Amino acid sequence: MEPFTYFLPSALNQKRLLKKLPSAAQYRISFETSEKWQGLLLDTFDEKMLHAGKLLFQVEERLLCLDLQNGQLIEQLSPEKWSFAGDLPDGPVKDLLNQISTLRAFLPMAEVGLSLLHGLLLDEEEKTRARFYHLSIERGRKSAGVGSTQYLRGYDQAQVDLRRSLEKIGAVSCQDVGQVYDFLKIKREKYTSKPTLLLHPDAPVKENAIIIINAFMKTARRNESGVVADYDTEFLHDYRVSLRKVRSVLSLFKGVFSAEDTTRLKQDFASLMQKTNTLRDLDVYLLNKEQYFELVPATTHEGLNILFAYFAGERKKEQSLVGKVIQSKIYLKEIGRLEKLFTKSSALPVGQRGEENSLAFACTSVLKRYGKVCKIARDIDENTEDSVIHQLRINCKKLRYLMEFFTPLFPENEINTLIKALKLLQDNLGNFNDYSVQQRFLKQVLSEKMPRFGGVELKVAESVGALTAMLHRLQQKERRQVMKNFALFDNLDTRATFAKLFHTEESVDENNSLLQ
Amino acid sequence: MKIIACYSNKGGVGKTATSVNLAYASAMKGRSTLLCDLDPQGASGFYFRVKPSKKLQNKAFFKDVKGFLEAIRASDFDNLDLLPANLTYRDFDIFLSRMKNSRSRLKKALREVNSDYDVVILDCPPNISLLSENVFKTADKIVVPVIPTTLSVRTFEQLNDFFKENDYQRKKLMPFFSMVQKSKKLHNETMIALRKNYKSLLKNYIPFSSEIEKMGIHRAPVLTYAGKDFAANAYGKIWNEIEAQAKIT
Repeated sequence: MEPFTYFLPSALNQKRLLKKLPSAAQYRISFETSEKWQGLLLDTFDEKMLHAGKLLFQVEERLLCLDLQNGQLIEQLSPEKWSFAGDLPDGPVKDLLNQISTLRAFLPMAEVGLSLLHGLLLDEEEKTRARFYHLSIERGRKSAGVGSTQYLRGYDQAQVDLRRSLEKIGAVSCQDVGQVYDFLKIKREKYTSKPTLLLHPDAPVKENAIIIINAFMKTARRNESGVVADYDTEFLHDYRVSLRKVRSVLSLFKGVFSAEDTTRLKQDFASLMQKTNTLRDLDVYLLNKEQYFELVPATTHEGLNILFAYFAGERKKEQSLVGKVIQSKIYLKEIGRLEKLFTKSSALPVGQRGEENSLAFACTSVLKRYGKVCKIARDIDENTEDSVIHQLRINCKKLRYLMEFFTPLFPENEINTLIKALKLLQDNLGNFNDYSVQQRFLKQVLSEKMPRFGGVELKVAESVGALTAMLHRLQQKERRQVMKNFALFDNLDTRATFAKLFHTEESVDENNSLLQ
Repeated sequence: MKIIACYSNKGGVGKTATSVNLAYASAMKGRSTLLCDLDPQGASGFYFRVKPSKKLQNKAFFKDVKGFLEAIRASDFDNLDLLPANLTYRDFDIFLSRMKNSRSRLKKALREVNSDYDVVILDCPPNISLLSENVFKTADKIVVPVIPTTLSVRTFEQLNDFFKENDYQRKKLMPFFSMVQKSKKLHNETMIALRKNYKSLLKNYIPFSSEIEKMGIHRAPVLTYAGKDFAANAYGKIWNEIEAQAKIT
């Protein structure tokens, strides 16, 4: 029997609940109520807990986590201040949070008053026939509760009786944390790194380009305060991805804006992003720390430790710089100016293709890019230069971005299938590139930063050497997978779906041969 | 799933106390445990405050899977469920004798709960009957409480002989000393003598304890109300020995 997981939009009245039990069954309930605690409701910026149907509370040095999906309540000890799942001592909450996110910080969403009640439904022999727990949550003048019954095997009727009694005092079945937030008037961030785009297929493509850019600029800007506060590395990551998408629209939607405007704007956005390049590189390094240590022999760990201590120090400096930039008047003025350009009342003159029908534009652009990807990939063999692999990666990424931007114009299932089909190849190429970037970064350390390691240069150089060798090997391994992954992507089904979704009169001549 | 029977062909040796407390020890170690009360007196059920099953007739136990599963009741403790006894179990033997392959019926019935439990503990009635032969055949290990007195030792030896004569696996037998009074010379001497003959005797023993006697008042496993009692803790140690020998992983 499933547990009854409920939301009670009021305080729990124990006497009333007892009265609602069927009198014939001779039940009584044994209540065990905790003291009242002051607690914090925690979630990640993108509300991962809420989306997973879970409520997480910090009460002094303890964490309580209530899962509305299965009714389970788990708890464990924790330090009073912590940010990441990895900061917690081993325990059931840590295990759960590790599944939710290892990268995102768990941040306070609201201050609440809490108390926990455990109830036992007993028969006349004092045998427990059903259990439940009830967590009372108070915020301001609002009082509510969430809880769940626990079915005990063989006592089906008791479970039904308990559920009915709870329902009679106002409990409603609940899997949605949003319901609890709304009732207690807890502000929701409603942040997503993938904003929903409302595009019209027949609108001029410039209009849709502006909608897309506007959405991603907003997304970027929502991450600014998190970057400054340095809660976690995902703020900067999302910030950069959003700005990169803006740049991609500018370069992929060719002719939608004038050539001069496009070049200038691309440059403007590039300058914004450039200021955060080093910080992101260092973030990636530090996030991969464990993996790097596993890659190289233990004899080089000492040098690696010195290197990572250096990275951590550099990151601190870099983070403070980026924080200052984002709070600066110059930055705010510049980003404000750019934002204004991409609103409904955009003053940007329309380019030669800006008035084209969006759907037709999407079809030709996607098909053209798809053709380019196929053309490059089909010529790749063991002897192909690495630069060609990079070309393939860039074109794959462009193809994916195009499909993602235009998703709202096509049947969702089919276009998502294509994006998914591309994913394996893209991940493969992404890894190939990451390993290459990381080697370049290490090379730069070796050529420019060695004087900083006075006295221990040899140790550091040794570990950099070992790490570079391993990264090179990993890169070659990824390199060997590319042909196989492209072959997987380039199957008849995918070809047929591309043809079906994006085939228009105009796109026939140029690309027909590639789709056969 | 491992099936551990708690059996003695002599009454009053602490069999039900053993079944209840071993089941509790198993559950406390996180093993999903089912205690089957095969003794028509229903004492295991009494200790857990579970009423005897009205529905579960003996026929159902061996034939009707649904009825069998429906009769299982959760105890008040995590991981521990109980199949309460029914007074009609006393007719088990007559019933079993009428059925084909009667000696493996129990095994078939227990197969139905295979996926639900890590451990099934059988609290058996004190006689050698068709039901107990079912138990001998089905159980992975048979735990036998032996009071270190002449009469109790004699019954264990009879059981051992019975196994030998009927080709049951004697290595299944796991005797241990129960209700031991170290102050008694006879108990000490009997223990030393028997340990020489039966290497399978468990290292740990259960001392005589007034706390165990009080189980009837508390109606709960002794560890729940007398956690510091030596005898209470001895069950945990005995369970550890059983786990190791029965390879319960």
